[in-house]
Amino acid sequence: MDIVICIKEVPETTEVPWDPEKGILIREGIPGILNPNDKNAIEAALQLTEKYGGVVTAISMGPAQTDDALREALSLGVDNAVLLTGRHLAGADTLATSYTLYLAVKKIGRFDIVLCGKESADGVTAQVGPQLAEFLDIPQLTYATNIEIVKGNFVRIKQKLEDGFRELESPLPALITVEREINNPRIPPMDHIMEAYRDKQVMVWTADDLGGQMERFGLKGSPTQCLKVYTQRIKKGKMQILEGDGSMVAKELVQILRKRNLT
Amino acid sequence: MEFNLSAESKLMIKAARDFAEQTIEPIAAKIDGDDAIPDDLLPKFAKAKMLGMMIPKEYGGTGSTALNMILITEELAKTASAVYWSMALNNSVAETICHWGSDDQKELFIPPLCDGSNYAAMAFTEPATGSDPAAITSTAHSDDDYYVLNGTKRFITNGQRKGYGIFYAKDETEKVTAFVVDKSSDGYTCSKPWALMGLGGQGLVDVFLKNVRVPKANILGEKGKGFNVLLRWIAGERVQQMAFMLGMGQACLEESLKYAKERIVKGRPMTHMQGFQWMLSEMHASIEACRWWTYRVASKQDEGDEIQVDSAALKLFIVPTIQEVARKALQIHGSYGYCKNYKIERLYRTIAHAGVTGSSTEIQKTLVGSYLARP
Ligand SMILES: Cc1cc2nc3c(=O)[nH]c(=O)nc-3n(C[C@H](O)[C@H](O)[C@H](O)COP(=O)(O)OP(=O)(O)OC[C@H]3O[C@@H](n4cnc5c(N)ncnc54)[C@H](O)[C@@H]3O)c2cc1C
Repeated sequence: MDIVICIKEVPETTEVPWDPEKGILIREGIPGILNPNDKNAIEAALQLTEKYGGVVTAISMGPAQTDDALREALSLGVDNAVLLTGRHLAGADTLATSYTLYLAVKKIGRFDIVLCGKESADGVTAQVGPQLAEFLDIPQLTYATNIEIVKGNFVRIKQKLEDGFRELESPLPALITVEREINNPRIPPMDHIMEAYRDKQVMVWTADDLGGQMERFGLKGSPTQCLKVYTQRIKKGKMQILEGDGSMVAKELVQILRKRNLT
Repeated sequence: MEFNLSAESKLMIKAARDFAEQTIEPIAAKIDGDDAIPDDLLPKFAKAKMLGMMIPKEYGGTGSTALNMILITEELAKTASAVYWSMALNNSVAETICHWGSDDQKELFIPPLCDGSNYAAMAFTEPATGSDPAAITSTAHSDDDYYVLNGTKRFITNGQRKGYGIFYAKDETEKVTAFVVDKSSDGYTCSKPWALMGLGGQGLVDVFLKNVRVPKANILGEKGKGFNVLLRWIAGERVQQMAFMLGMGQACLEESLKYAKERIVKGRPMTHMQGFQWMLSEMHASIEACRWWTYRVASKQDEGDEIQVDSAALKLFIVPTIQEVARKALQIHGSYGYCKNYKIERLYRTIAHAGVTGSSTEIQKTLVGSYLARP
């Protein structure tokens, strides 16, 4: 059971400056953390390989400081780590990101499952996993709260939907995105942290190593146009609760709305 | 001058924080209230590889540094739980045995401290003295391959829990020698735990030694040179204790900020009032000063420098400073801070311990003062 997990480093705070020209986050100098949801993906991968054997490889695209997210993955027990970096890859939207990850997964070659977090804490699009599955042309099973291997080479997940759950099954290889509640990620022991920084390697691949078409990487390969970036101001006002009989309350509500020209 | 922590240290801090929040904090109030630490907690520290931080891997340790020990202490301290002291003692006693012990002693005594199957103890205080170890009255008489120990030790953390402890007694030459004593030996008994103001679960007992036979092979360091063992241990322990204070101080600030941002006074959160802003800023400045000095002394320890005077000066500064931080935190919380429903109450009681344990704040002044006034 060889698994590739895609992980991302996200800013530790929610107050990250934006580049108004490019419409992207200015991440330099902002302390990063491993995307919380990706910790669940790592944990899911480790649990699967602990049960069925196999190799877990973590890949991450980002600036050089993303090395730390990959070291954390190594300290948790991931076997290999690959950093995808360089100026050609910078400024990528979800399409360019999934294209880059696709080339990396291809280059790794052997895999039964690709695991992603459902979404990243900063982008919150939940697009990269599904797009990557499309590039790889494999089935995608999203929002998993449970993963089981069945009938030897099939995977079955419990998928969380807005109003319930459903079970999905697919042949392997497949891509799975996981929800936070799928597991409780382990904490790396101190000696593994030391090994991750002292004894283990993070491989570094740039656009040149990945092959592919240069114009599809990074900002150039990103069709998403960000017109304006602003922080939504939440207006605070008085709250009024109408009590009493339903139809009376409804009438009163309509009157209030009319008075304020809100109808 | 390097003020940046390594990425490795930062990840250790994060791991310790997660451990504290997930494993200790949810049961910290219960440990304190029940005056009991669950048996499965120390093994969890062992699994997280936090029990032999400064011990080489060959003895089951982590092979890390005094600085990293301090950094994880700071995070664990935020729970203000007595369980920290079990973890700290296993670390500091293992390190002491590693420094002074023979190869046989290291192989025998250290691995069970790192794997969490044993609770360490360090026993110097007696009913008549804590501050003046020269006044120790426990005795050790030579008998063949053994020493026979008699006496009473007071306030011994984990004196009653399974494992080995380092005990100090005067031998036939009236000199103090350090012995590694098996706490399950014949003639070894304990009182019930003292009921403490804070640190519920600490397991602070009196130990009665009645003809306890200790193999001569268990003498730690040189015979008659027990003070060297004790003083070196106390210096390292002071730094760890100050990191414990520092972490609790930080928790006081975090709790106060959380409270003050939510508490509405005159229609606005308390944090809008200059008086409280000043309190918070003073707390922050105090904690930062404590933090960097503690890191500095731990780094000196890692460089192999002598830290007797540094650690004493550190303690005499940090104890009153963090106690003042706790006092302010209580003021910010108003009467809620005096209620057990609020964490600040536990922090306040726990922070009170540091000036009178290990060695008192006054003793640090004597130590630093006599160093400064040396001819
Ligand atoms: C939570 C906790 C855990 C503990 N764990 C342990 C343990 O594991 N092992 C252990 O051996 N002990 C332990 N102790 C005991 C503690 O270390 C001693 O109580 C402490 O060293 C002080 O000794 P004492 O109480 O006998 O005070 P004393 O020595 O009687 O001192 C009383 C007061 O006089 C002052 N004083 C004494 N001598 C001088 C001097 N020369 N100059 C100036 N002032 C002086 C002191 O500062 C103090 O304020 C623990 C205590 C507590 C509360």
